[in-house]
Amino acid sequence: MQIQDLPYPDPGVPDARSGPRFLWWLGRNQLGGQFKSLAWGLLHFVSVSALPFCVGFAVQAVVDRSWSRLALTGGLMVLCGAGIAVGDTFLHRAAVTNWITAAARVQQLLARQAAHLGSALTRRVAAGEVVAVSTGDVEKIGWFVEALSRFLAAALTIVIVCVGLFVYQPALGVVVAVGVPLLAVSVLPLLPRATRRADVQREKAGRATELASDTVAGLRVLRGIGGEELFLDRYRRASQEVRHAAVRSARMWAVISAIQVLMPGLLLIAIVWHGVRLAREGRITVGELVTVYSAVMVMSYPLRHFEEIAMAYSFSRPSAKRAAHVLSLERVTDTGGTRAAEAPAGDLYDPDTGLLAPSGRLTAVVCGDPDAAGRLAERLGGHPAEEGVSVLLDGVPLDELPLDSARTAVLVQDKDPVLLSGSLRELLDVPSSGAVGAEEALAAAQCGDVLVALVQGSLDTEDPMDARITERGRSLSGGQRQRLALARSLITDPEVLVLDEPTSAVDSHTEARIADGVRELRTGRTTVMFTSSPLLLDHADRVVLVHEGAVVAVGAHRELLRSEPRYRAVVTRETEEESASRDEQAVLRSELGSRDAPLRGAAEHDEGPLRGASDDDDASLRGSLDDEAALRSALEEIEESA
Amino acid sequence: MIGVAPPAYDPAAPTTANTLPVGAPATVRAYVSELFQRHRRAFLLLVAVNTVAVVASMVGPYLLGDLVERVSDGARELHLGLTIGVFVVALAVQALFIRQVRLRGAMLGEHMLADLREDFLVRSVGLPPGVLERAGTGDLLSRITTDIDRLANAMREAVPQLAIGVVWAVLLLGGLVVTVPELAPAVLIAVPVLVIGCRWYFKRAPAGYRSEAAGYAAVAAALAETVDAGRTVEAHRLGDRRIALSERRVKEWTAWENYTLWLRSVLFPVINVTHVTVLCSVLMLGGVFVLRGWIDVGELTTGALIAQMLVDPVNLILRWYDELQVAQVSLARLVGVRDIEPDAGDAGLSPEGRDVHADRVHFGYLEGVDVLRKVSLEVAPGTRLALVGPSGAGKSTLGRLLAGIYAPRDGRITLGGAELSRMTAEHVRSHVALVNQEHHVFVGSLRDNLLLARTDATDAELWAALGAVDADGWGRALDDGLDTEVGSGGLALTPAQAQQIALARLVLADPHTLVLDEATSLLDPRAARHLERSLARVLDGRTVVAIAHRLHTAHDADVIAVVENGRISELGSHDELVAAEGAYAALWQSWHG
Repeated sequence: MQIQDLPYPDPGVPDARSGPRFLWWLGRNQLGGQFKSLAWGLLHFVSVSALPFCVGFAVQAVVDRSWSRLALTGGLMVLCGAGIAVGDTFLHRAAVTNWITAAARVQQLLARQAAHLGSALTRRVAAGEVVAVSTGDVEKIGWFVEALSRFLAAALTIVIVCVGLFVYQPALGVVVAVGVPLLAVSVLPLLPRATRRADVQREKAGRATELASDTVAGLRVLRGIGGEELFLDRYRRASQEVRHAAVRSARMWAVISAIQVLMPGLLLIAIVWHGVRLAREGRITVGELVTVYSAVMVMSYPLRHFEEIAMAYSFSRPSAKRAAHVLSLERVTDTGGTRAAEAPAGDLYDPDTGLLAPSGRLTAVVCGDPDAAGRLAERLGGHPAEEGVSVLLDGVPLDELPLDSARTAVLVQDKDPVLLSGSLRELLDVPSSGAVGAEEALAAAQCGDVLVALVQGSLDTEDPMDARITERGRSLSGGQRQRLALARSLITDPEVLVLDEPTSAVDSHTEARIADGVRELRTGRTTVMFTSSPLLLDHADRVVLVHEGAVVAVGAHRELLRSEPRYRAVVTRETEEESASRDEQAVLRSELGSRDAPLRGAAEHDEGPLRGASDDDDASLRGSLDDEAALRSALEEIEESA
Repeated sequence: MIGVAPPAYDPAAPTTANTLPVGAPATVRAYVSELFQRHRRAFLLLVAVNTVAVVASMVGPYLLGDLVERVSDGARELHLGLTIGVFVVALAVQALFIRQVRLRGAMLGEHMLADLREDFLVRSVGLPPGVLERAGTGDLLSRITTDIDRLANAMREAVPQLAIGVVWAVLLLGGLVVTVPELAPAVLIAVPVLVIGCRWYFKRAPAGYRSEAAGYAAVAAALAETVDAGRTVEAHRLGDRRIALSERRVKEWTAWENYTLWLRSVLFPVINVTHVTVLCSVLMLGGVFVLRGWIDVGELTTGALIAQMLVDPVNLILRWYDELQVAQVSLARLVGVRDIEPDAGDAGLSPEGRDVHADRVHFGYLEGVDVLRKVSLEVAPGTRLALVGPSGAGKSTLGRLLAGIYAPRDGRITLGGAELSRMTAEHVRSHVALVNQEHHVFVGSLRDNLLLARTDATDAELWAALGAVDADGWGRALDDGLDTEVGSGGLALTPAQAQQIALARLVLADPHTLVLDEATSLLDPRAARHLERSLARVLDGRTVVAIAHRLHTAHDADVIAVVENGRISELGSHDELVAAEGAYAALWQSWHG
């Protein structure tokens, strides 16, 4: 694989059973590149190591007063020079290619994994982990995978040089052959401590950066209310901690540097001492002594690769483990579904709460507890995080459809829809029915002022569709973001659109206009809106009040305002004292108490999605829940026909 | 491979207008010399220690040359023991001082880096609120993360290593000149190749590396966004598009990698050829000189070994020069913040009384486009004023003007007779506080998050403030109470809890006038109203300007101002406005049924 051919058409299926296996899998998938790097590496290192021999030959030639041998040595050096230059350049190219292809492969795998996990990411710790692997671990993994063949080339070279020296000059070669392995391992015992200190330093630096960016992110708050010194002091402390950790780490590396000077130095002294005596006895020539001396000097270069590989491994092992873990995560539900793909259209019905959204109508749902509303909205789309009774669309259980079919049929816009960065055109370019244009949708969601703001904030464009939206739409206000998200959902134009508090940050004037716009644009389509805003509720065909996990009232907004005190309490934001003062409230509570009890239990149970130990209780509760749901749906039908 | 052109797409190119200034070359130079002055002693010490280490490193080749000379001359007395002794001492000195060089270099680098990042934050924290409101914090944020990171490498390694490398190379050359002056010209033969090659490379490299780094960051950013938007991506079936986007980013990034790889494919042979040429010319010329009898074998050996040693400092200089060039741009971005005029307020200006008065105020963010036109308003002390109106009508802008964040283009806004825009930010906020939708929870303990409003508050006061905003319930339920770590990485608070913290800060800061910009919009409806009522009790007697999108807030206010199209179209109490049957009345009808 060449760099210019990246990305991989298919990054493959990783062996994510463990960290080392993952590293091995990556290395195995670029065997060609590894061999290239090994071959060029050998050429480079061997050429570098041959230079000292040239130095020795030259000195000896001069000692022997031989012009021809001096010229020959010159020729040899030019050859070595070519070998060094070509070998180094192509080794570097091969190594960088290996690094980049490995890193690109992991990034591609992560992107696929993130897309696959989708909504499951938001609930797991996984979100942070995926990002951490992508930003920090990929580099380390790539480093180790790439360094392998380079290390192998260096190690082979050292063996070759030692053997060469031994053949060239056995008496001195023995000293080198004994000394070099000692050099290779001399600093290894210090490396774990050094890398640990480096890790501590990185961690502290990360913390300081976090504090700094946190302070800057909240700067408007600080400037508005005070406390700058408090936060500056805190940052200064963190920054000084980084400095101390860094110096502590540097102490270790300084010792390592000193040893890297000391150990080869001692070997050189041994060679000089031994060599000079041999030379005096006439057993070796002066040139041979210079050769061995300078060969050992040069050998420190391939020797460094021993440390590098040890460091690369100690850094990349935890990284590979994290990457393998992230790549082996799976979704809770089966995204393939047990039914064939189809696009059902009809009434949306939730057997659990008894919520019914008739086909082609605008149903508003009022729910006192915003968290419960969020969970219910999520369930309406099928394949929720917590398993339970499936919602039915035209009688078809959504959970049993393939994930993609379910998402096509029902679009759930959650409370906090994310605007993806890019141009407005890219933002609104989502898979859709094609029936609703961007202009219509933007008009219905009252986005006029957002478009003006976008053009003003952009660099060089007059067309709002080309204006850039920053990450999460941070340059826009909360209300502006909500309206753009709503426009995006309207463009999708799904069979069923579920909106959870779509206008909570929008002012009343605009909200009233949005209610009109959405109603008109969704004519003939099924829409479910979770809201407590009277302005939206007043525009709904049908308002459903969900209380403690079950539908307790259905009707028109004005009708419910009059007849249903709990409804009034939620939508007019009466405080608890006010509602408590109403007599009928107390009566109704006692009346409903018995009916609510089993459901309340179920709701509490639902809150712990990760507690898997009590599966049995779950089943029994589900049973009672099903009965309740059946009862409620019967009631619902009676209500409907009335 | 004839060459690789830089890719057409440059991920480092700015996509939005630079909202904060970038430092001019003069500012950068001034800052660098200031930094150098501050650390002059450490610099000199580093150079001194380094000199000793390098001189010690040259003892070996010198002694070996000497020995070689005497052996080849067949000298009787070698004094081998003494020579080895000197060798060992020199080695010990070298090892000891190398350790010092590394350590001092790191200490110096870390010190400069710490100075730099702390300076930057101090500057950022002192920025006028108006600048922050206009520029947003995004640009500042990228400076304190990306740019500081890039500089970290430069300060930590490049600056000390370059200092070491230059000293080292100069000393080696000097050593060569002193010991074998005849061979010194041989080193110069390779200089032209090196200079031409390096000029070509350094002209292209910094921009290339900057784009490459930006490209790599974009790969991670695309993924981070996919992860962050997991639900949205799944709901809108954007999975395949996100994968395609990630792959496009990989392609863009690797195109730059390929380009910089090509640059190095030119530089590496140049450096290698330089090294070999130096060694080769020293040996060949030296050999000829020896054969001619101009120098002796020992001098040749010393010269060759020193020439061989030159490899390391030259590599060091080339390696880190790159980094320094890349860092220069980041440094310019950091010191750019120094170019912003600090808040020029009149510290002596004090309000008398607390009437807020806006007199024919005009204001616009852009030249020639006024968002507010001829707005006049009088708010008596203790009044609760609600601003209502459609999005973009100018409610929030009016709120910010009343809080002294912006100065009107025309007209005056006064508090107790003193013009708000002429007071310092610190002074203004002791009288007026603005709470907007941005409820930042700082990383740190719950206590720190509250203390910022009043640094000397006791725990009892903090609990009282939490109680005033209905937050003592969940607050007391926390395992570590006020010491609980919150913010990103700590306990995740709901938006509603964050809003309560923001309001609790307000209770602690206790200004006599407050501007609340949709301050309770994130709470669930019932809790919002409950909170507003309890807050009203706490804030009793204070002037409150509430920008409201929920009509009940307006309903609870003493006076309502309907803002439409940059003007105040209706003004009066709830009952008056309902009776007037204007825009407000219509809205109220539809809202309240």
